[in-house]
Amino acid sequence: MRKNNCEMVRRELEELMLGEACSTAATEHLRDCASCREFHEQQTKLRQIVGSLGTVEAPADFDFRLRARLAQSNGSVVYWPFARRGLAIAATVLVFLIGVVVVRDVMNKRGVDYVAKQPEVHEPAKPADVTPVVKDEKKPEQVAVNEAPPIIKKSDGHPQTNYRKRPLSSLAISSTGAEVINGKPPLNMSAAFPIDASPQAFTVSLEDGRGNARTISVPTISFGSQRIVQRGNQLTPKRVW
Amino acid sequence: MNTLTTIDELGFAPALQQDVLEDRTSDHALLEATRSGDQDAFAELVSRYRNQITSYIYRMTNDYDGAVDLAQETFVRVYGAADRYQRTYAFSTYIYRIATNLAISELRKRKRRKLVSLTGFFQPTDGGEAKELNPPDGRPLQDLELVDTERRNAVQRAIGTLPEKYRAPLILRDVDGHSYDEIAKILETSEGTVKSRISRARGFLREKMRAYL
Repeated sequence: MRKNNCEMVRRELEELMLGEACSTAATEHLRDCASCREFHEQQTKLRQIVGSLGTVEAPADFDFRLRARLAQSNGSVVYWPFARRGLAIAATVLVFLIGVVVVRDVMNKRGVDYVAKQPEVHEPAKPADVTPVVKDEKKPEQVAVNEAPPIIKKSDGHPQTNYRKRPLSSLAISSTGAEVINGKPPLNMSAAFPIDASPQAFTVSLEDGRGNARTISVPTISFGSQRIVQRGNQLTPKRVW
Repeated sequence: MNTLTTIDELGFAPALQQDVLEDRTSDHALLEATRSGDQDAFAELVSRYRNQITSYIYRMTNDYDGAVDLAQETFVRVYGAADRYQRTYAFSTYIYRIATNLAISELRKRKRRKLVSLTGFFQPTDGGEAKELNPPDGRPLQDLELVDTERRNAVQRAIGTLPEKYRAPLILRDVDGHSYDEIAKILETSEGTVKSRISRARGFLREKMRAYL
């Protein structure tokens, strides 16, 4: 009970302003309780010391410096919102451009991946101003590139074409070969170059029109994979060119 | 028979004029005038509060030059935010709140930079009793003024070692003489919290200042 009383009185003393009179109950308690009296005395002294710190004055040039500072900050206040807006717009445009570049890059990559998955077909070199003469003993058959591919009968009796379905892009790549071989203009640029996987070397004699002749031996053309070569051997008739 | 021709004759004139005058020179009115571009009104506000704010920040940071700088920053912010000022609280509460935030922010910056004040150099990190750089020898000094100065220095150092959450309410209450209600508004906390923090701050100080009590 007495302890509670002490706590209540001390709390009351804490909340009083310096020099403010306390309640009669607190005064009576202070008269009886020595520890609370000591607390009150120490508290009063401490608050007097702290209160004696007083107010520190601002320097004489405070107003002058403040005015200069306000003038400086006013300038930045006027222009900063515009600068901030400009920065925001620039950042938005930058993000948009980066987004466009990334999306385009991703789209292109997808396209490349799709083409890369197809079997590669090497395009033979195209001579510039020479008339090619085929030295091969056997007369090469004209390849009708726009014709339908030969139909092969499967063991179950159903007809089947001899090439796998490929996209147009790969067909276009192989369309220039016939011109080199038989000296005639290509029948159709979009037609397919026939895949001959013959392992024999191919010899070509070239004349420049002044009596000079040159023989070129073309090595076996690689079509990119042994699997294709083997399949070509099985399906393509020999010496089509 | 006399007829009253003007309101002045009713005898209310002095009181009305006084009210109008007080209203015109109130902090709110001055800030309103500042908002509409009256530089003199703002100069009047500055002259009213510059010493209080400088002193308060100095007690908080224990660095006079820094306190002057922060006091100026306080007025710059008041001026810059004059358009957004609302009359919800007294202007003194508003400006003290800005000053408190700046002072606490400065104290935290110093903590991050690990600035060591010479007075707090011998302060233990484990929260034990701080040892003063220049400890009192306990002998009574002859000159009363010297005693007084030494005591003030000691209390200033002791306040400087208080955590900021105890320091601000103690200064506002015991140095600047604000009411609990005002302090609660300035520090944006409850009155009960303010009372308990002040009580704890005094407890810390009593321990540190035992030799002077």
